[in-house]
Amino acid sequence: MIFDIYAIYLREMIRLTRSRVRLITTIVMPLLWLGVIGSAFNSAFRITMPVDFISFLTPGIMIMTMVFTGVISGITTVFDREFGFLKEMLVAPVKRESILIGKMMGGVTQAILQGIIIFILGLLMGVKIISSSIPIAIFGMLLTMLLVSMAFVSFGLAVASKMSSMEGFQMVMNFMIQPMIFLSGAFYPTSMLPGWLKGAVKLNPLTYGVDAMRYFFLGMNEFPIFADLSILAIFSVILIIIGGYLFRKS
Amino acid sequence: MAVKIVDLVKEFNGLKAVNGISLEIEEGELFGFLGPNGAGKTTTISILATLLKPTKGKAFVNGYDVVKEAEKVRRSIGIVFQDPSLDDQLTARENLDIHGRLYHMKKDERRKKIKEVLEMVDLIDRKDSLVKTFSGGMKRRLEIARGLMHSPKILFLDEPTLGLDPQTRRHIWDYIKKLNKEGVTILLTTHYMEEADFLANRVAIIDKGKIVAEGNPSQLKDAIGGDVVKIVCNKPKELQNLLSGIEVKNVEGTLMLNVQRAEEVIPKIFNISNKNGIEIKSITYKEPTLEDVFLHYTGRSYREEEGSEKDRIKMYMRARRR
Repeated sequence: MIFDIYAIYLREMIRLTRSRVRLITTIVMPLLWLGVIGSAFNSAFRITMPVDFISFLTPGIMIMTMVFTGVISGITTVFDREFGFLKEMLVAPVKRESILIGKMMGGVTQAILQGIIIFILGLLMGVKIISSSIPIAIFGMLLTMLLVSMAFVSFGLAVASKMSSMEGFQMVMNFMIQPMIFLSGAFYPTSMLPGWLKGAVKLNPLTYGVDAMRYFFLGMNEFPIFADLSILAIFSVILIIIGGYLFRKS
Repeated sequence: MAVKIVDLVKEFNGLKAVNGISLEIEEGELFGFLGPNGAGKTTTISILATLLKPTKGKAFVNGYDVVKEAEKVRRSIGIVFQDPSLDDQLTARENLDIHGRLYHMKKDERRKKIKEVLEMVDLIDRKDSLVKTFSGGMKRRLEIARGLMHSPKILFLDEPTLGLDPQTRRHIWDYIKKLNKEGVTILLTTHYMEEADFLANRVAIIDKGKIVAEGNPSQLKDAIGGDVVKIVCNKPKELQNLLSGIEVKNVEGTLMLNVQRAEEVIPKIFNISNKNGIEIKSITYKEPTLEDVFLHYTGRSYREEEGSEKDRIKMYMRARRR
């Protein structure tokens, strides 16, 4: 079982090193956010918040990048199905679970790598970790990244299992992922929103991911960190179950 | 017994794609499933490869039940799918290596076998090239090599030369023959008559989910009667009357004869015409093809079955992807 998972994971990792273009393009968007939007609002933001806007934005952008990467990597199973490699795996003497876990681990690794790249970019732009203990901050961020990426890789797998072509992909991105990111407080403090939208923010699981990330990174949070992590964990487990179920069924 | 199929039925939403097939394939055979698109060939092979479950009936591969012992079946077979199934972002070697890992081969074993199978399909020089730089024929060869990586007892080839040009097809045929000589049992599906005729030592002609004829290609052709002779001459009606005792059809002035041994009958026809002052303009004969066999058993011409518009588009897309 471990060997099977590793074989499938290995393939994902080799593919990752081959797709440098994809790696770079997924960094361009976050860079624009941090570099352009971040700088533009930097001074204005200082008045109401204890940190500057780039610092505030960095954890949010980390989450955004990981969500995109996670969903996309989950959806690559559609490519596998269309281009037949999935058959090669299905006809091998390996369990379906191994394929699923191997693919998930591949997606999670990629998403976390992207998160770390944004983190380093943030540090290079002068963002500082504000925490009494750097190791706890790093560990906490990694944990948050793990939970968020697991959830969204599974989300991608679930979508991919239900989708027969790449056309549905744009729909999912525009109608589900984008709103979730906009309503998560990744780009601005949610306290700035009108009341009716605040409800939507609280229902959005991603809000707690952003909040947890900001807590570990900058020491600022709207919800108790314990609540953040529990909600994220539950959300992640639910999506893994749904993703796993749909993937097996397809 | 490499393959044993008993009363196999597979329904898709009430439609019977496979409708009661029974078959036995011995070890070392090169067996061909021949039939038009949609006849149920791929469905049957998918069941044998444990990718589909039969609705009714039983199937055994290398003695293992395809439903109850799916994992053992998978371990003992190699398969080349109709559609490309390589990862073209990986190199040839990496594709084989991942395959070897999925079949639990040890590191040394993998290395040895990768070299061996790549040499066999003449791709050893390209082992570190990305598969996306390969031509259609090279990809097909690599897929065959991959199917052999884990030394399966039987290799399934689903339309191995679909969408390939004639020269490449010939090449692939040679590899398949070579493999079979080395002792690998091969079961292939094809809708190309020539392919089944050239490769298989036994074929099953499948139509609408049923086996309509089974046997050695030349025996099948012999069974439906000898050769077809066509004569064009200046006095067809007279010649027709003179050729008593042979069934002669006059098709718009061309005489068509169905005879056992054309090479012996033709000189006699010349003698008769010479004696009676009939001038023969041309005379041709051909041996029956598997096409005639298909026609004989199904009552339909094979060409009419050659796929709908949709199939053609699918084939075109497939060829483009290679």
